[in-house]
Amino acid sequence: MIEGPFLQTGDTVLLPERLGDLLGLDQFGLAGELLAAFLAAFIIGNLMLAMTGVAGPWAKRKITAAFTDRIAVNRLGPAGLFIIVADAVRLLSKENIIPENADRPAYDLAPIVVASSALLGFAVIPMGSGIHLADPEVGLVFVFAVAGIASLGLVMAGYSSANKYSMLGGLRAVAQNVAYEIPLVVTGMSVVIFTGSLQMSEIVAVQNQPLVDLGVVAIPQWFAIVNPFAFVLFLAANFAEVGRNPFDTPEAPTEIVAGYQTEYSSVYFVLMYLGEFLHIFLGGAIIATIFLGGPAGPGPEAIGIVWFIIKIWGVFLLTQWMRSAVPRVRIDQLIEIGWKGLLVLSFANLILTAVIVGIIQ
Amino acid sequence: MSTGVEREARELTEDELEALIGDRALRRDDHLNAPGFVIRPDDVQDVLFDLRDQAGFDHLSCLTAQQYEDRYESIYHLRKYADPTQEVSVIVPTSVDDPVSQSAEPVYRTADWHEREAFDLVGIDYEGHPDPRRILLPETWQGHPLSKDYDQEQPQVVTLTEHANPIQPDHHDEESDTMFLNIGPHHPATHGVLHVKTVLDGETVVDIDPDIGYLHRCEEQMCQQGTYRHQIMPYPDRWDYVSAGLLNEWAYARTAEDLADIEVPEYAQIIRTMGAELCRIASHFLALGTFALDVYGDFTAVFQYAFRDREVVQDILEDLTGQRLMFNYFRLGGVAWDLPEPREEFFEKTRDFLDGLPAKTNEYHNLLTGNEIFQIRCNDTGVLEPEVAKSYGCTGPVARASGVDYDLRRDDPYGYYENLEWDVITRQGCDNYARVLCRMEEVEESAKIIEQCLDLLEDWPEDDREIQANVPRTLKPDPDTEIYRAVEAAKGELGIYIRSDGTDKPGRFKIRSPCFHNLSALEEISEGEYIPDLIASLGSLDIVLGEVDR
Repeated sequence: MIEGPFLQTGDTVLLPERLGDLLGLDQFGLAGELLAAFLAAFIIGNLMLAMTGVAGPWAKRKITAAFTDRIAVNRLGPAGLFIIVADAVRLLSKENIIPENADRPAYDLAPIVVASSALLGFAVIPMGSGIHLADPEVGLVFVFAVAGIASLGLVMAGYSSANKYSMLGGLRAVAQNVAYEIPLVVTGMSVVIFTGSLQMSEIVAVQNQPLVDLGVVAIPQWFAIVNPFAFVLFLAANFAEVGRNPFDTPEAPTEIVAGYQTEYSSVYFVLMYLGEFLHIFLGGAIIATIFLGGPAGPGPEAIGIVWFIIKIWGVFLLTQWMRSAVPRVRIDQLIEIGWKGLLVLSFANLILTAVIVGIIQ
Repeated sequence: MSTGVEREARELTEDELEALIGDRALRRDDHLNAPGFVIRPDDVQDVLFDLRDQAGFDHLSCLTAQQYEDRYESIYHLRKYADPTQEVSVIVPTSVDDPVSQSAEPVYRTADWHEREAFDLVGIDYEGHPDPRRILLPETWQGHPLSKDYDQEQPQVVTLTEHANPIQPDHHDEESDTMFLNIGPHHPATHGVLHVKTVLDGETVVDIDPDIGYLHRCEEQMCQQGTYRHQIMPYPDRWDYVSAGLLNEWAYARTAEDLADIEVPEYAQIIRTMGAELCRIASHFLALGTFALDVYGDFTAVFQYAFRDREVVQDILEDLTGQRLMFNYFRLGGVAWDLPEPREEFFEKTRDFLDGLPAKTNEYHNLLTGNEIFQIRCNDTGVLEPEVAKSYGCTGPVARASGVDYDLRRDDPYGYYENLEWDVITRQGCDNYARVLCRMEEVEESAKIIEQCLDLLEDWPEDDREIQANVPRTLKPDPDTEIYRAVEAAKGELGIYIRSDGTDKPGRFKIRSPCFHNLSALEEISEGEYIPDLIASLGSLDIVLGEVDR
């Protein structure tokens, strides 16, 4: 077993090890471990992609329709669920139109960067029921770092499309991500002060100790309960990070058509959108892990994954709600809110948390 | 009220007008609606400045250009914002060989677009015009379609290569930091096929140039080829085609009825008034929904709610007229048929809608105008000062939200409006927010009007329900009678000029579209602001390209 900063196991048993034990891959040494790791990554990746598949063509439509007094898809299969298959066929069979002046390698790579950066982040998220790919000591930093790579993809998409709307969208995306990533990380750090560890399993474990014991029910010290202020800040910054209302300026249909993804069609378009939804889910996963006790919930530990998915979908629902009901702020207002509002508040929160934690200990 | 307004509102007698214009008037050529003065082409600015500054004619309502056998003619239809019943026509004839006339642009900003249109379609050159380009037709078009020597049989196809390709030129030179951006003709926020040539400095709009005409369907020409009695009425439905149909039809009905001296029965006038206000509600709901769409950025709750509520109005209108969009319900001298049977059902349905309206308005206020983000987006953006609004000939909710108290339903009464209790809504905000609120409050006023109409219709004696006056089968107004009449349509003053030539078809049919004027002010209100504000301002002007391009 390799013991390094990136495969630190602690006392939790990670998915690759379980798979290794289950399939008897241990006997093949390093090759067996690698195979187990690939298998585990495959399972987690597909779980997330399947969720995105349900969310994009079906759930998003249904949720938005519910908010806006409509019915949405209801013809194919029960509650229109088979639209997922139909849409997959439709989107993949469309012609992939590439602009004449597109900067080729960048144009092709951008969707892949966007989608894969989000997928990478799930590697360190403890999803309960033993589904946890890796648990490095720097888990929280890792997840912020890989999620940040998406900005690179957006810029690449923006400039390489040879389209002015894409360019504007790409520039907006950078400005926005720079402005909101700092409050996001700083607010995340306040959790670290509280838990004393960057390791995801540790963060979850600390949150599951009881805050108040009422005899019948014990309220766990989920960070959202301990510091609701940080929770709200993080939620707000997260909306900007995933580019949803009121902060959907990088795409801003009606202003700059579709921003950085204006020129993308067919499979590239699917990848772009996949990346966006994965980012919303990753945002949900981070929020669930550092604020909502990860996979914790009533019932046996084995159903942790169910609670975890419910929490992610809760965040997803919130983004769709905002999308249906809240106007978009203007780009200059967005930057102002980021630098003058959220940044200041997040540092205040950090200091406040540090002081309180210092007093308690 | 300031003394200035009183002075402006004071009516000048014809003698005083004659004295003011003096010997610059070559002769009189009165129209049915107004005294007309014929002047020389090089006196245009002189006379118009005098009429504006000394007689208070601050509203260039319309400019009609036409060609006779022996001359071209530009007619400036002037009115007063303080009292639109005071009108004067300034007629400027020019020779056929050299049709050059002085531009009125320095006097009224709105003459800019009007004179471009007159040049484009009729072929009169305006000397001193700051921007003498075509406006509706492509730059490469040969000839002027409404002039006498134009060969209408010869089709002209403007190919993509011939037409200046809006995508091609970059307009970016090494020196400047600006970027040229084509917004439209295919863009999610242009509400149709509008093409806005934009120069950006970062995200700031430095300069815009709206390029219209993509939806030009020769509506004026088509109306000139139809007979007064029945063949013209279907066309107005197609100008402002989003549920304002009856309001448009009334513009033609009013003009033609005044031209042919037709009295409309009172009962029909009440039905007209009710139908028109229903259309106004539907149209304002659409404006509200699409404005929310522009600011929210997606087909969100407000948009869908607005469409849901508009659908109810649309249903009522369908019951009344038998059509959902192209009503064709008005006839000269009345309406096509009486209220649908059973009448009680129609009354109940309409009343149900009116009863539910306050709750809905409340919902919009909660969801939209009460939202802080919406407020920071809309307050103090797209500011249109009252004097600028007047200079651009803005009317309707756009002008009223800038504090210009101008509503033809009250100021130049027609239909049954005089006998009903309602208020003209004005707001002093001058910004996008004020325009939204103005429309929402107008919906409530329209509801009041409909309510009163319903009461009247319900109590109307059964043997006195006259829906149409006796109108001759063929209408042939006296030759060379000219008239300009306007009504308050959903977007503002919708005017029509008709010159009869003794036949059963108009000699010249000119449409004064409120959207045309309102859109021309876009440049004024959006330069120096951000792209999102340009989009929001465009939405708040509530234009329909079918009416802009005609």
